[in-house]
Amino acid sequence: MAQKSWHLNRRDLLKGAGIALALPSLHAMGATSALANVAKTETPKRMMIGYIAYGTYMPNGTSGIPRQRNSGEKTPHHDWSWWPCKDAGELTFNKSSQPFKELKDYVTYLRGLDHEGGWKMGGHSSGDVFATGADMTETQKTNSISIDQVAANMHGHKTRYSSLVLGTEGGTGSYGSSKTLSHRGPGRPIPSMHKPQEIFNRMFNPYSGKGVEQVRANLKRKASILDLMMDHSKSMNRRLGKEDQQKMDEYLQSIRAIEQRVERTSQWTHEPLPDVDTKGLNLEVAYNQAEEYIRCLYDLVYLAFVTDSTRYATLMLESEQSSTSEMWNYATYVLGYKGATHDIAHKRPADYSGQWDRWRAEQHAYFLKRLRDTPEDDGNMLDNTVVLWGSAHPHASHSTKNYPIHLAGGNNLGFKHGQLHDFIGDKKVPLANLFVSMLNAVDVPVEKFADSTGNMSQLMGS
Amino acid sequence: MIRLRPLIFAMVVGALGLLAWLPTWFSGEPLSIAAAQDGVAQIAVDESVSDGVEGFKTVVAPFFKAHCVRCHGAEKSKGEISVHALNGDMSLGQELDKWESILDMLQVGEMPPATEPQPSSADVKAVTKWIESGMRDYITKAKVEHAEPNTRRLTNIEYQNTLNDLLGFELDVIEDLPRDPVKPYEFNNTAELMRMGPEQVDRFLEVSRRAMASAIVDAGEPTVHKTRREWLKHGLDRGMALDEIGVFGNRRHSAAYGIGLKSFPETGEFRIRVNASAILPPGYNQVPFRLIMGNDININSSTRQVREVGVANLTNNPDEPKAFEFTGRIENFPALPGRVINGKKQPDKMTITPQNIYDDGSLNDRFSYGNLRNIALPRVVLSRVEFEAPITDVWPPAHHSAILFDSPKRESDPDAYVCEVLKRFMTRAYRRSVSNDEVELFARIYGMVKPDLKTMEAAMRETLAMVLISPQFLYHTESDSATDTHYAMASRLSYFLWASMPDQELLRLAAEKKLDNPAVIEQQVLRLLTDERSERFVENFTMQWLSLAKMKTVPINRELFPRFLYYVPAGERAGTEMPYLPTVRDYMIRETVAFVGELIKRNESALSIVDSDFAMLNQRLASHYGIEGVEGVNLRPVAIKPEDNLGGLLAQASMLIGNGTGTAPHPIYRAVWLREAILGDEVADPPAEVPALSDSAGESAEKALTIAELLAKHRTVESCNDCHFRLDPWGIPFEHYNAVGRYQPKVPKEGTRVSVFQATQHTDMAGYQKYLATINTVEIPAEATVPHGPEVNGLHELKGYLLKNRKDDIVENVARRLLTYSIGRQLNYRDRFAVQHIVEQTRDNRHGMRDLIVSICQSDLFRGKHPKGN
Repeated sequence: MAQKSWHLNRRDLLKGAGIALALPSLHAMGATSALANVAKTETPKRMMIGYIAYGTYMPNGTSGIPRQRNSGEKTPHHDWSWWPCKDAGELTFNKSSQPFKELKDYVTYLRGLDHEGGWKMGGHSSGDVFATGADMTETQKTNSISIDQVAANMHGHKTRYSSLVLGTEGGTGSYGSSKTLSHRGPGRPIPSMHKPQEIFNRMFNPYSGKGVEQVRANLKRKASILDLMMDHSKSMNRRLGKEDQQKMDEYLQSIRAIEQRVERTSQWTHEPLPDVDTKGLNLEVAYNQAEEYIRCLYDLVYLAFVTDSTRYATLMLESEQSSTSEMWNYATYVLGYKGATHDIAHKRPADYSGQWDRWRAEQHAYFLKRLRDTPEDDGNMLDNTVVLWGSAHPHASHSTKNYPIHLAGGNNLGFKHGQLHDFIGDKKVPLANLFVSMLNAVDVPVEKFADSTGNMSQLMGS
Repeated sequence: MIRLRPLIFAMVVGALGLLAWLPTWFSGEPLSIAAAQDGVAQIAVDESVSDGVEGFKTVVAPFFKAHCVRCHGAEKSKGEISVHALNGDMSLGQELDKWESILDMLQVGEMPPATEPQPSSADVKAVTKWIESGMRDYITKAKVEHAEPNTRRLTNIEYQNTLNDLLGFELDVIEDLPRDPVKPYEFNNTAELMRMGPEQVDRFLEVSRRAMASAIVDAGEPTVHKTRREWLKHGLDRGMALDEIGVFGNRRHSAAYGIGLKSFPETGEFRIRVNASAILPPGYNQVPFRLIMGNDININSSTRQVREVGVANLTNNPDEPKAFEFTGRIENFPALPGRVINGKKQPDKMTITPQNIYDDGSLNDRFSYGNLRNIALPRVVLSRVEFEAPITDVWPPAHHSAILFDSPKRESDPDAYVCEVLKRFMTRAYRRSVSNDEVELFARIYGMVKPDLKTMEAAMRETLAMVLISPQFLYHTESDSATDTHYAMASRLSYFLWASMPDQELLRLAAEKKLDNPAVIEQQVLRLLTDERSERFVENFTMQWLSLAKMKTVPINRELFPRFLYYVPAGERAGTEMPYLPTVRDYMIRETVAFVGELIKRNESALSIVDSDFAMLNQRLASHYGIEGVEGVNLRPVAIKPEDNLGGLLAQASMLIGNGTGTAPHPIYRAVWLREAILGDEVADPPAEVPALSDSAGESAEKALTIAELLAKHRTVESCNDCHFRLDPWGIPFEHYNAVGRYQPKVPKEGTRVSVFQATQHTDMAGYQKYLATINTVEIPAEATVPHGPEVNGLHELKGYLLKNRKDDIVENVARRLLTYSIGRQLNYRDRFAVQHIVEQTRDNRHGMRDLIVSICQSDLFRGKHPKGN
């Protein structure tokens, strides 16, 4: 199968060979072979999902929806509300959202959206479904495919890595306390990577200094060995009971996936690796240098995009269940707050929770600006990258409805920005409708994702 | 033992809109209980209730109607329990999990709620007896054997231990694997959590290649790398010579700065020899001396990586220096990658740093105490350090020869030799005998890679790395149906009590088919528990059972507890925690682990987790708790008196800190901990859409509210009270223990600013304590009324209540936790009677912890047999 799709793409790309393109000034783009031209001939359409935990500060409403005052009197918008302005319409920016002010034409706020599948999970757990929209009630404990993997399944072969899965805590986590946003399908979470040096090495130095010939020989050997082991394990599988057999299938699928990856890696050895400079990157950065660490992860996503090593990335910046991780102390490092980061959601905004939101906004804005400031084609990278950022519950209340949702970029992909949209009352639609539009924007022609009921044409320019 | 999760959850959600226990009675829907009697409040019955549907109709259904149906009926089904839907026929095994919840509720007296009319105890007894006998009938008679799925991979910890025991040397690999899931109060060695994905297998392959690179050495003599350095007793500066190391270190060029290694190999065992002694001022008998190795830490950074080589206690004076020897594997220590200069990569760097880790609790920053303190306290004298790697006393090393053993066949019949090597290795890696087919597969792989890799050593490394990613290695042995029951038993025992593979003796007993004999099992359990590998079990089990890890990340309020940790005194990082030194916090986790280990070793009653007459302490911990006369860094059992306010797990700082905010105690966290870890209840997360409790003292202090007062307010809101009335009382009696786990019944008045220790003002630690005593004037209330129980004031009374009234729950909980961990799956209603049997069997000796473990290992459940009622 892999072979077949490979040939198809080869034909596709040959059509466009020889067209000179304006590329970011990176040594990375010296590739000349046909494969690299796939990437060159079409402007990459990228997608990134970022997740923050514990919700954000939203006054006047436990579900994040402002309460209507009976008297109809006008109250000013809260300076520290996560929502930048009070009413739907053109964006103005309060203290909390200030970092996005200069990105006004690139950002949209969406109020009133959520995944129904996470309603019953409790505010400390609904992060599980942020990128999947899976129906995870009390009995259903396996997640479903995440939005980035849907795209990766269709277009992932065009880049060296089909997707990049990062987090700050690493691993998969478990039901109710996921440490990754990405899932291949039910029961198949993709562990996130959280160590900058390791992420960098795996992405840009995958052969650990070995020559390409040797790497290819090793890969070939590995493929034949795995093939043998597959056959052998299959025979073991036949002897098991049904439920155990399912567990064993996990193993077999894993071996199979590695085999496929071997083929793929082998193909990509014909492409030169991007020569990425580590200058300005502190890959040994420690957790307690919070800002540097978070920016380092953002930088790695940026580097992955700018070298076109992948087009889809998820980054779980925080998780609700971080009491055994250093993330629990982040607010201490950043704001000098004396208490767990979780508790900050319950604190007065001017002192803490608003400051915390703003800090997070600054980091995200940093990433968006890096994309915006990198030219690509007639525009910049942000024009070709749609970025979703938010949390799976509104704020202190442990509610699982009405997420803070922030969408940025993808202006060349059809998104039109600069507005706050309300999806409240009879305008309410599933968050998954946005996912359908995001997927369509990166050329994944799906009509449905999770519990979607349509798409979000109102976000798209005509 | 009550498993409450769904119930509590639904109670609170339900209570949002409905007033929970108001005596208004909906009688709209006709009950589906056939023979329901009208409005019978008390049903007079003797205990001879008929089994089956008959007994249900005459006794149980009326009881439900009288006491349960209003909240658990057709109108409302709180906790997803609706008794009106139960038809009293258990013979088909339907809804037995719900029946078990009902049984638990009634037995513990949790239901009906205290605010409702209570049934007579005879009625409750009759109903519980009926339920229990119905369940037992079903479980015993059920024709269909229910096989619990048990295919699960090794956890990262088990994987690392197995690798180490298999190869015969220590290799750290956990950091190179995707992190295992963590669930509070749950064990992660279950099939549900131990899953497999491509990334996992990929990493396992990387790690196993790395492991084999270490295990098999190349032919020929190795290059031995040596570095040595000496310091002399001169260069006296403010009372300290260059060869001395004070508690605050020493200056540049002194022994405190350690030695940089000139060169070192990539893999292999190293040896460090030191000549050391101690300068002990009068009144001091020893000084602990520690070696760490890795990055050079003598720069202003907190991100340098180091790892401990070892600790030695010094008692000899400098006239009689003693030689100490430390060994380890060089690949486990973090090297600082060499920089690239002019396109040329410089060699990696490694530094050995010696430390004086004397700590009596009074130490903190050198700025307060100055050098005076350095020479007033014990000093380490280090005259020489020698590093050597690899160690060539035996070459090739034993771990190499264990795989590529000496044999004339190696030359005369290489094919047969390879098969023999594979067979020996695989037998241990698979933890069972292997078939010729299985060996044949890897012989083929060997044949495939040999031409490319040239040497036998290289080809064997690659082949054996593949053995290590085969499912027979990565998964628990018992899930492999090719495994004989005796081998499966060998693995069950070793993974339970060592978190690792069986040793030769267990495998031999399996081969001899002796592991179904209860006497042999008992004898093996005792042997395994006395082996030091059992510390891995105790640690892994205790950390997860008590959800301890979180205590390491609680941010301690420096202003309130200025001398709890070490902080960098000056410079850019002033005020941040000082890295590279063991702190009291590290010892606290070890205290709890060692305590559980000691209970098992002494076969103490499971009830000792609530209270005990000893604590596991070293000098630093003793000073924290205010116990005198404990010296040195080693933990040991220390007898305690009631006025020490210690004993059991409940007063241990690891738990108290982990369940606090770092500023104040947190009664909710502590209550949840008590109910989950000690009583064995499941406590639900805060439900969606309830207002949050402002839970950190930071804010409550500003509002002049203690958390206890805050909770009292919280409970006045009905929707909150539904949950909190059964939660708070378990946490409030802990209020006399502060956020760093010390007994402190009085606190400063609201708004009082606590001064940080200042040498000029407080002179010394005693002076500071005196100052704290002057500002701690307000008594903290710690009274609470236990649900369905009396009022208790403080932890002492709470312990008394638990030991008197909740004994059975506590013992059952310990048994359940051990059993769950040992079989690697959640227990369900089918296991109920097996648990009861284990508890019964150990009653003679007050449920000794070791007896419990033996009884578990002898049980049918552990041995993988179909669970039967006893």
